Amino acid sequence: MTSLLNIGKSALLANQQVLRTTGNNIANVNTAGYSRQNVQLNSVEGLYSGSGYYGRGVEAATVLRSHNQMLTRQVALTGSIAASDAKRLEQLQKLEDLFQGGKTGLGAAINDMLNAFSDVANAPTDLTARTVVLARTDETAARFRAISQDLDNLRSSLQLELKANVQTVNQLASKIADSNREIRNQQGSGHTPNDLLDQRDELIRQLNTLVQTSSIPAEDGSISIFVAASQPLVLGTTASTLTLTPDAFGDPYKAKLTMERNGLTVVLDEASLGGGGLAGQLRFQNNDLADAVNMLGRMALALGTTLNQQHSLGLDLNGAPAGNLVTLGPIPDGLRALVNTGSASIQVSVQTTPTSGAPQLAASDYEVLFTGAAAGTVRRVSDGQVTSFGAVPVQIDGLSLQVSGTAAAGDRFMITPYRKVASAMDVAFASPRALAVASPVVPSAGVANQGSLTLQTLIPTQANANLTQTVTLTFTGAGSFDVVGTGTGVPAPTGVAYVPGQAISYNGWALTLKGTPQIGDTYTVQANAYPSIDAGNAHAMLAIRDIAMFDGAATTDGYAGLMAEIGVRVQSAGFTSAVSTSIASNATADQAALAGVNLDEEAARMLQFQQAYQASAKIMQVSQTLFDTLLQNLAR
Amino acid sequence: MRIGTANVYDNALEQLYKRQSDMLTQQEQLSSGLRVNRASDDPIAAAKAERVLVRLSRIETDQRALETQRSALSSAEAGLGEAIDRMQDLRELVIAAGNAGYSPADRATLAKQINNLRDQIFAIANRTDSNGVPLFGGLGSAGAPFADIPAGVQFQGAPGQRAATTTALPGAMNGQAIWMDVPSGNRTFEVSLGAGNTGGVWTDTGTVISPALLTGDNYRIDFTVTAGVTTYDVVNTTTAVPVLSAQPYTSGAPIQFDGLSVLPQGAPASGDTVAIAPSTPLNLFNLLDNTVNNINSASSDNRLSQAIALSLAQIDTGMERLQAARGQAGDWLNRADSITDAQSARSLALESDRSRAIDTDMAKAISNFTTAQTGYQAALQSYAQIQRLSLFNYIN
Repeated sequence: MTSLLNIGKSALLANQQVLRTTGNNIANVNTAGYSRQNVQLNSVEGLYSGSGYYGRGVEAATVLRSHNQMLTRQVALTGSIAASDAKRLEQLQKLEDLFQGGKTGLGAAINDMLNAFSDVANAPTDLTARTVVLARTDETAARFRAISQDLDNLRSSLQLELKANVQTVNQLASKIADSNREIRNQQGSGHTPNDLLDQRDELIRQLNTLVQTSSIPAEDGSISIFVAASQPLVLGTTASTLTLTPDAFGDPYKAKLTMERNGLTVVLDEASLGGGGLAGQLRFQNNDLADAVNMLGRMALALGTTLNQQHSLGLDLNGAPAGNLVTLGPIPDGLRALVNTGSASIQVSVQTTPTSGAPQLAASDYEVLFTGAAAGTVRRVSDGQVTSFGAVPVQIDGLSLQVSGTAAAGDRFMITPYRKVASAMDVAFASPRALAVASPVVPSAGVANQGSLTLQTLIPTQANANLTQTVTLTFTGAGSFDVVGTGTGVPAPTGVAYVPGQAISYNGWALTLKGTPQIGDTYTVQANAYPSIDAGNAHAMLAIRDIAMFDGAATTDGYAGLMAEIGVRVQSAGFTSAVSTSIASNATADQAALAGVNLDEEAARMLQFQQAYQASAKIMQVSQTLFDTLLQNLAR
Repeated sequence: MRIGTANVYDNALEQLYKRQSDMLTQQEQLSSGLRVNRASDDPIAAAKAERVLVRLSRIETDQRALETQRSALSSAEAGLGEAIDRMQDLRELVIAAGNAGYSPADRATLAKQINNLRDQIFAIANRTDSNGVPLFGGLGSAGAPFADIPAGVQFQGAPGQRAATTTALPGAMNGQAIWMDVPSGNRTFEVSLGAGNTGGVWTDTGTVISPALLTGDNYRIDFTVTAGVTTYDVVNTTTAVPVLSAQPYTSGAPIQFDGLSVLPQGAPASGDTVAIAPSTPLNLFNLLDNTVNNINSASSDNRLSQAIALSLAQIDTGMERLQAARGQAGDWLNRADSITDAQSARSLALESDRSRAIDTDMAKAISNFTTAQTGYQAALQSYAQIQRLSLFNYIN
C-alpha cells in the first residue's frame, strides 16, 4: 500500500520537475543563447519479492541541455565571418558615397575646368572667360578638399569605433575568464551548470562577431580562447588585453592589433585575424581606405602637377611668365621604421620631366629597404612589385626619392606620397590677368612658302633655357627639313624626316604641322611678340585632357576608373557578405533546430506531463481509496 | 525536423526585410529612372556612363568653340566680300583714269576716290571678331595686324595658317598671304618704261608664251631710230648677253624671246628703253598706293597707259587672292555645318550609349517591381497567418 503511495509520490514529483523545466523552456523561448533543457527521468530500481521485481516509481536524474559543440562552434565561426564581411561592406558603402559620379562628381568638375580653357583659347582677351577658368579650378580644388576631408572623417570615426570594439573584446574576454572560473567551481556537483554554459557560449559567440577565435575546452570545464590562430586571449581564468597600436613605421593612418600577456607584446598579423567585425574594419582601414586616399591623392598630384607645369610655361595677360595654377598639399617625407639605425631620411618629389613625371604616378605606397647606404629595393605596396636600386635619388613611378643622411643596411622606410596632397588643394591666384593663356613661343610660316603646310599645334612642353630662341625649319623636300637656330642640338640637324601630324620637338616645344611642304618652304618658331591676344598655352592646357595620365587612361577619364574601382570593391564585398550572411543564418537555423525552444513541442509536453501528473495524483487517490476500503471493512 | 520557434520569427523577419529592400530597390530604379544609381550597382556601366558624360561635355565645348570660330570666319568671309566689291569699284575708277579726255585735275579727283577706297579696304584687313581677335592675324599678331607706316603697310604678326581639324576650324586667316602677297606685273614678270624715255612707246603687261623657256632673268629692250627706221635690241642684263639685235620695230607687233612676249605700241624715240624684270611680291595696299601715285604723276599719255595697264593687271591679281581666300572661308563655313551635323550625330549615339548602360528599362522595372510587391505581400500575409498557429491556441 505504502509502495503504491510512494510510487504515486515519486511520479508526482518527477512530473512536476518536468513541468517546471517545460515552463522554464517556455519562459526562455526568446532568450539569446538559451539551449532547450529536458529532465532525464529514470525508473527507480525494482524491489525483489517472491514474485519478481516490483518497480518503485520514477526519479528525475538530472537536467540536460540540448547542445552540440560542433553546431555552436559553427554558429560562432560563420557569424564571425559574416560580421567581418558586413562591416567591410558597410564601410565601403560609406566610401562609395564620397565618390559620386555624374554632373555633381569630381570627374565632372575636372572636366569642366579643363573645358573652360576652350573659351579662353577662342577669346584670350575676354576677362570673363578667364574668370570662369579660375572659378572652375577653384571648384575642382574644393571638391578635392571636400572628398579628402570626408575621407579623413571616415578614418577618424573608424578609429573611434575600432577603439570601442577593442574595448568590447577585452570586456568579453574577461567575462569569459570569469565564466570559466564559475563553471570550474560548479564542476564538482556532478550536474552540468546548463545556464552558465549557455551564457559562456553566448559570450564566445559575441566575441566572435568582433574577432574570430578558436577554442579548446579543458577537463576542468573551462575553455581557452585563441585569436589570430594561436595567440591566447583567454587561458583558463585569465584574459589578455588587446590594444590598437600604429604599425612598424608609426603610420597614424594604419593600425595594428597587439596583445599583451605577461608583459610581452605580440603584434597580431592582420591576415591571420580571420573573421570578425574588428578584423573587417581593420582591413577596410588598412587596405580599402588607404587605397582610396592614395587614388584621390594620386589624382590630385598628377593633375595638379601637370596643370602647374603647363601653366608656368605660359605668359600671363601682361606678357610676364606665369607661376603655378594650383597649390597642392605637401608630399610627406618617408616614414622611418621605428627600428632604423641609420640617420637617413627620404624626401619625395615628382619628377620634373613631363613624360616620366606626373603621368607615371601609381596609386600606391612604397616600402624602401636599404641594403647599403645607396642601394636596396623599393616595393610597390599595391601589387608587391619589387625594384632594386643602386644609386640615389631613386626614381620610381614618376617619383624621385631623395635620400639625405646615411642609411644603414636593413633600414626601412614607408613612402606615402599621396596622403595630404588633395587636402590642401587650392587655386594659386585670384586675378584673371595672371592666367597663363599665351604661349612664350609662336610659329610663323615663311612668307614665300609655296606648299600646303598648315599649323596643327605648337605647344611649349618643358621648361628650357632656350625655349624662346628662334629656330627655323627649312624644308629640303616633301619629307625632310634642315634646322637652324639656337638651342640644344640646334643647328646641327639636317635632313630630319618630316611626317605630317607628327610633333617636331626642339628647345622644349613641340610643333605639329600638316600638309606637304615645297622645297625651300620654312617654318620658324620664335619668342611671342604679341602675347595679349595669343592663346597658345590655353590650347596646351586643353591638350592635358587627352594626356595618358592615370595608368594609361586619359586625364578626363581618370575619375571614371577611380569610381569603377571602388564600385567593384563594394559590389564584390556585397556578394561576399550576402554569401557569408546566408551561410551564417543556415548555421544558426541548424543550431536552433537542435537547441531552440519549440513552443508547440513544449505545449505538447506540458499536456503530456500534466496528464501524467494527474494520473500520478490518481495513483495516490487510488492508494488512499484502497486504504480506506481496508479500514472500513476491518472496522465492521 | 525540429524548428526553434524564436528562429522561425527571426527568419521570417529577415525575409520581410529582404523583400522590403528588394521592393525599395525596384522602386528607386523606377523613380530615379536609373538602373545604376551608384557605381556598385554595375561598375562597368557606371564607368561607361561617366566616360560618356566626359565625351558629351567635350562635344558641347567643341561646339561652343566652333560657334566662335564660325562667327569669326563668317565675319572674315563677309569682310573679304566687301573688299572684293571695293576692289571692283576701284578697278572701274582706274579704267576711267585712263580716259584720254580727262585733265590732270580730273585724274587727281579719281586718285582721291581710289585712295578713299584703299583706306576702306585697309580697315577691312584689320577687322576683329567680337572678342577683339583679328580676323586676318595668321598664327598670332598684334591687335591690329596691319600697320600703315610711312615705309608702307606692314604685317605685324606671324604668317601662316592654322589647320582645320575634325572638330574645329581656324579662328583667323593668314593675313600675310591674303593681303601682303600680290605678285607684281603679270605675276611672272613686270614690264616698265625707262625713266629717260622721250618717245611715245608703251607696252602691255606682257604674257608668257612658253613657261618652259622662262629664265627669270632681267632684260632690256633698246630702241634705235636711224633715218626714220626703228629697230630694237634685247639684252639679258643679268648675264649681259644680247638676245635679239637690230630687229625691225612695228607698233603693235609683239616682241618675243625666251618664252615671253611683250606688245609695244606707239613710236619710241631713239635711246628709249623698256625693262623686263621678274615679278616681285607686293602688298595690296602698296600696290594701290603706287596706282594713285602713277595716275597723279604720269607725265605723258604713254606713261599713263603703261601705269594703268600695270595697275589693272595687279588689281586683278589682288582680287583673285581675295576671292581665293573668300572661297577658302566659305569652304570652312560649309565644313562647320558638317562638323555640327557629325557632332550632333555623335552626341546622340553617346546619349543612347549612356541610356543603354544605366537607364531603367521601364517595362522590365515595372514588372520587377510588381513581382517584388507581390513577394512582399505574400511574405506579410503568410507571416500573419503562421504566427496565429500555435498549439497553445487549441489548449483550453
